[in-house]
Amino acid sequence: MRLERHPILEFVRGKRITFTFDGESIEAYEGETIAAALHAAGIRVLSRTRSGAPRGLFCAIGKCSSCLMTVDGIPNVRTCVTPIREGMVVESQRGPGKLNPVFRHRPHEAVCKEAEVVIVGAGPAGLSAAKVLLNHGIRPLVLDENPHLGGQLIKQTHKFFGSRAERAGTRGFSIADELVEEIEGEAEILRQARVLGLYCEDGRRVLAVAHAEKLLLVAAKDLVVATGAQERFLLFPGNHLPGVYGAGAVQTLMNVYGVKPGERALMVGAGNVGLIVSYQLLQAGVEVDAVVEAMPEIGGYHVHAAKIRRLGVPILTSHTVVRALGKERVEGAMIAQIDGKFEPIPGTERELAVDLICLAVGLNPSTRLLEQAGAQMGYVPELGGRVPLHSPLMETTVPGVYVAGDCAGIGEASTAMLEGELAAFSLLAKKRFEVREKIALVQRSLEKLRRGPFGERPRTGKEKVFTLMKEVAVG
Amino acid sequence: MKRSADVVIIGAGVTGAALAYELARRGIHDVMILERRFPCAGATGRCGGGIRQQFTTPHNIRLAMESVKRYEVLSEELGVDIEFIQGGYLILAETREETEALCKAVALQNDLGLPSTLLTPEEAKRVFPLLDETVIVGATYCPTDGHANPFRVVKGYLHRAREHGVSVEKFTQVIGLEVKGERIVEVRTSRGNISPGVVVNAAGAWSREVARMAGVELPNEPVRHEIAITEPVKFFMEVMVISIHNGIYFSQTKEGQIIGGIGDPEERPGYNITSSLKFLRNFARELLRYAPALGQLSVLRQWAGLYDVTPDAQPVLGPTPGLENFIQANGYSGHGFMIAPAVARHLADHIEKGVRSEILDKLSLERFKEEIRGEAFVVG
Repeated sequence: MRLERHPILEFVRGKRITFTFDGESIEAYEGETIAAALHAAGIRVLSRTRSGAPRGLFCAIGKCSSCLMTVDGIPNVRTCVTPIREGMVVESQRGPGKLNPVFRHRPHEAVCKEAEVVIVGAGPAGLSAAKVLLNHGIRPLVLDENPHLGGQLIKQTHKFFGSRAERAGTRGFSIADELVEEIEGEAEILRQARVLGLYCEDGRRVLAVAHAEKLLLVAAKDLVVATGAQERFLLFPGNHLPGVYGAGAVQTLMNVYGVKPGERALMVGAGNVGLIVSYQLLQAGVEVDAVVEAMPEIGGYHVHAAKIRRLGVPILTSHTVVRALGKERVEGAMIAQIDGKFEPIPGTERELAVDLICLAVGLNPSTRLLEQAGAQMGYVPELGGRVPLHSPLMETTVPGVYVAGDCAGIGEASTAMLEGELAAFSLLAKKRFEVREKIALVQRSLEKLRRGPFGERPRTGKEKVFTLMKEVAVG
Repeated sequence: MKRSADVVIIGAGVTGAALAYELARRGIHDVMILERRFPCAGATGRCGGGIRQQFTTPHNIRLAMESVKRYEVLSEELGVDIEFIQGGYLILAETREETEALCKAVALQNDLGLPSTLLTPEEAKRVFPLLDETVIVGATYCPTDGHANPFRVVKGYLHRAREHGVSVEKFTQVIGLEVKGERIVEVRTSRGNISPGVVVNAAGAWSREVARMAGVELPNEPVRHEIAITEPVKFFMEVMVISIHNGIYFSQTKEGQIIGGIGDPEERPGYNITSSLKFLRNFARELLRYAPALGQLSVLRQWAGLYDVTPDAQPVLGPTPGLENFIQANGYSGHGFMIAPAVARHLADHIEKGVRSEILDKLSLERFKEEIRGEAFVVG
């Protein structure tokens, strides 16, 4: 079902088009992804595993492979990031898709180009880095695999905190618009450009990119990697059922495409994401039966918690989801209280009649490109797992490769924007620009963000990364 | 960790694992495998899994034929599905000279009892329907060739070997071999010393280094070979395809992924195993020239491993001249997974009974003193 009215968002839909799903004709709007269009038509089961278990959307940003379908005869297409087009033939799969034997690829030469700086990922970190570089006369090449720029900001409907410099009081999607506006026309931007790998060829650093069905080879002097994060999953029976979504996917569906993700929801996780998305669900007209949190305390800001409590949503700490109910899709959820060892306490189980289980249980940095490029990694739980080691100035162990935002350790968008600026300034300093004061300023702002009890985890995490980085430098 | 063992095997790749199993089956249970990292960390875990018998030297053909007989029964014997798919190997040729070489090889193979045949391009297309038959001049096919999952093979061998008391010491690096007279009397490792009965050098590309610890010089050289794997699609190809024109090979795993590689004549010996864009482009280009439909697949991963290459592309097997308890099982030149099950039996018989089969004789280190006539069909 598509949302028509929303207290904050206005949905401007494209041209009406028609496509087929397993032979059935379905209407959609240009600008939607295949998965969003199917969801709007009430279709939750996108494909099935080899054994026949149903599979639906989970991450909605092309990272989890739960939404693979056969599109126009091509198997294993990520339908959550592929735009729907008039006349498309979309088919569900059982296990991997079938090779199309009559497909003939069109041989083409690789397109080669050079760039002084390449930025991978056009979220808050990448866009902020691009802006700083442009201000100093460097025109970066910005690559993003999504059809939209702005990363996860485009689905944030809440107003940001902090100072004016950090765009406090502005809603996330407006920040994305502002950031894009500031660089569009100036930086060279490629959307739906998938970076395949960073290689060393004849002593030069070459980034291989799939773009517009061509291989693009970019000889890149310096690189800012701002590839963001992916959602964590949770183990429980029934977690494979369509209707179990990552919190980010729920935001994408309702805030980007204006598609209602369900009627009644259980939110798992009372960190800031869980609390904010619960409020957003209410704004989209979805009932939220409860927020469960495994820890004994609410993890997010109390102002966010208070907001949903006022609207009657119970936040149950020391509780978790133990099972998703249903055969073909979520028809309910079993929750229970848990003890100090996170084991369910018998007799406390409760059934909720929800059709949507939203997981907001944290993020893992998306670091594959960095690992492939040979950057040394470290395991830092405070930052979400394996992170690239980097200096306080955001340079990794691969000289000239900088990181910023969630891929350098899970934080939030304000941190990502500051880190993007810092990476850019750091890169400029290497090029002998006089930016010492700017660097000090950004570093002070970052310190301010990481003050206080909520800043403790990222602060400790970053200190660990810097220490590990120093050890590597010493050998 | 034990301080002594009847047999100390260096390396937990397919050779070490198969040998430990064959020894245990013959009642030799006091066996230790020393592995610098973990099972399959070297070439076995990085290879394409092909099992081919269509070679150009009698020894390689015989060992491979013996090996296929083992692979045919291995799933049942080990109690692990090794994902053996006996769909044959199709070898492609693009010139007259290459076709003549195939023709000669088939004659030799047929003499030794291998059912390989020459095919026209049209016949080759019937074996592999995605083939663009217009780019080839000839082909050969042997229906009893195949491929399997190397991880599962090693897992199965080690599982059974352990049941018989074989110990597998992971993260245990051999750092020295002490020689007294004509024997190795001590194996020094990062985790302590072991007094060995027999020492087997199955260290793959590091065999040369291991042999040097005992003062033995092997002619082997490590050479990087790169490989890539695609996303899975429904199983559609039983056959494994290789070309003697460009050294490409590819097959489909039971899971449905296309796995393959291609040789690079410019590759110099060394221990570099980084992945290159040059390989990926070359592999993709040549793969799509033979099978244009595969262009719809995305590559998931690429990696590299090391061939342990000898001057005649045949393995170095059996006892070492001058060191009676030092046995070589290396130098496979890219064919270790194909012939290890057979090699393991020859070596186990030798260790058990002291017999030296004709093949061990012919493939011993001593042969490099004489003139060398080597294997011609090395791909990947």
